[in-house]
Amino acid sequence: MLDVPLNEAVTLADLTRDPYPIYKRMRAETPVVRMAQTGRILVTRAEHTKWIKENPEIFSSDDPTTPMKPAFQAHTLMRKDGAEHRAERMAMQPSFSPKVIRSDWADLYARLADEYVSRLPRGETVDLFTDLCAPVAARILAHMLGLEEARDEEMIRWSQALIDGAGNFGYDPKLFEISDQANAEMNALFERIIPRHKSEPNNSAFSVMLNARNPIPLSQMYANVKIAIGGGINEPRDALATIVYGLLTNPDQFEEVKRQECWDDAFEEGVRWVAPIQVSGRRVTQDVEIGDVAVAKDERVLTIQASANRDEAVYGDTGEDFNVFRKKHPHQSFGSGPHHCAGAQVARRTLGQIMLPLLFDRFPNMTLEDPSKVVWSGFGFRGPLNLPVTLN
Amino acid sequence: MAKITFVQPGGASQTVEAREGDSIMQTALAHSIDGIFAECGGAMMCATCHCYIDDDRTGAASEGEQDMLECAEDEVRDTSRLSCQITVTEGLDGLIVHLPVPVE
Repeated sequence: MLDVPLNEAVTLADLTRDPYPIYKRMRAETPVVRMAQTGRILVTRAEHTKWIKENPEIFSSDDPTTPMKPAFQAHTLMRKDGAEHRAERMAMQPSFSPKVIRSDWADLYARLADEYVSRLPRGETVDLFTDLCAPVAARILAHMLGLEEARDEEMIRWSQALIDGAGNFGYDPKLFEISDQANAEMNALFERIIPRHKSEPNNSAFSVMLNARNPIPLSQMYANVKIAIGGGINEPRDALATIVYGLLTNPDQFEEVKRQECWDDAFEEGVRWVAPIQVSGRRVTQDVEIGDVAVAKDERVLTIQASANRDEAVYGDTGEDFNVFRKKHPHQSFGSGPHHCAGAQVARRTLGQIMLPLLFDRFPNMTLEDPSKVVWSGFGFRGPLNLPVTLN
Repeated sequence: MAKITFVQPGGASQTVEAREGDSIMQTALAHSIDGIFAECGGAMMCATCHCYIDDDRTGAASEGEQDMLECAEDEVRDTSRLSCQITVTEGLDGLIVHLPVPVE
């Protein structure tokens, strides 16, 4: 059994800029390693990350030392285990079920996708990230949560404020001021629309929670909606931008995907290649061995699904490449265990089955002239920050 | 050991030796049975290990399992179960598990 090795060289700034060569080396040399800058232990191999997620008794989500609580002004279901987590999650899960996706969201999303894609100017170069990926994600989410009154710009701003607050491990008070302001605006909206949802219930998450036979506390309904806002915009936004980038920078695959209409496969490969949520945190509840490394009770581990998704043990030597036509292996972008992504089916349906076919039916000869202009960024969450494409 | 038979919607079937203590879901994954994905790894959180079992020996679905079955992608029937919630015992020898028709 080995002590946890210490890595003093790697910084969060390095991982935010370009984490993949670092993770590749960690998988080979130090798959369980303490990162000096954060004190947390990074776990980079697929078998370990999956095992950690699937054993919540040993690796708890309940961690009072994360900045999530001040950011959300609540102890949210993301940081709970067991029955309490299940009760809060199941309170809104019906809104994201395949049944309700089919009955309510698929047609609506198809209309919204058409509306937003139709606004794009043919023949011109636009930033697809700001002109499509973000606003369309915001609009469908507003409907799914029952917040139709919120503008795209508000949803996007609130989401960013919550994410920045939840990732504020340096406890910078300015970031919490911004998230506090967003919380105040969201709370005011929620309060204002409760009567509408009580008198006209629908299948949105807020409505389903408010009108449940055994409702969870109002504070936790608010927290749930905020979690969905925090997670429901940047992830589909980043996934869409990543998939489009992957296709446009691999013209042979792009042609073949159009020919076979295998947009579902393009979706899965895009989210495998660059997982929108790259990292998850867990608190160790007992002394345990991860591989041959001894990890003590009360340590904090970070599972790096970004790395697991490229693990040589699963994907051979080609995990670093975007390849829609690779042999299929389950990826970990939606996680595993009790906190498996509640929006996985929504994402597959909306992006894989509606947005991608629609977008490339409208602009089949879209091009990305200079891929080097695309800026990738992010440690916890990752994706392109811009996507200047020419629409044809 | 118990023999478990998995039947695909088209009628093709495969009988495997299941290890006692494993779940039906784990048995299916170990033998690469089509139609069982088990994305959440057995946490009763995804309903991608949905199957149909018409056999009293497996008991009834718990309330949590029923709630999650409501979220299953495919057609839910009276015989619907989450295969992660059924543990293989010798007493289940000869069990027949039907896989759902994938919804497009």
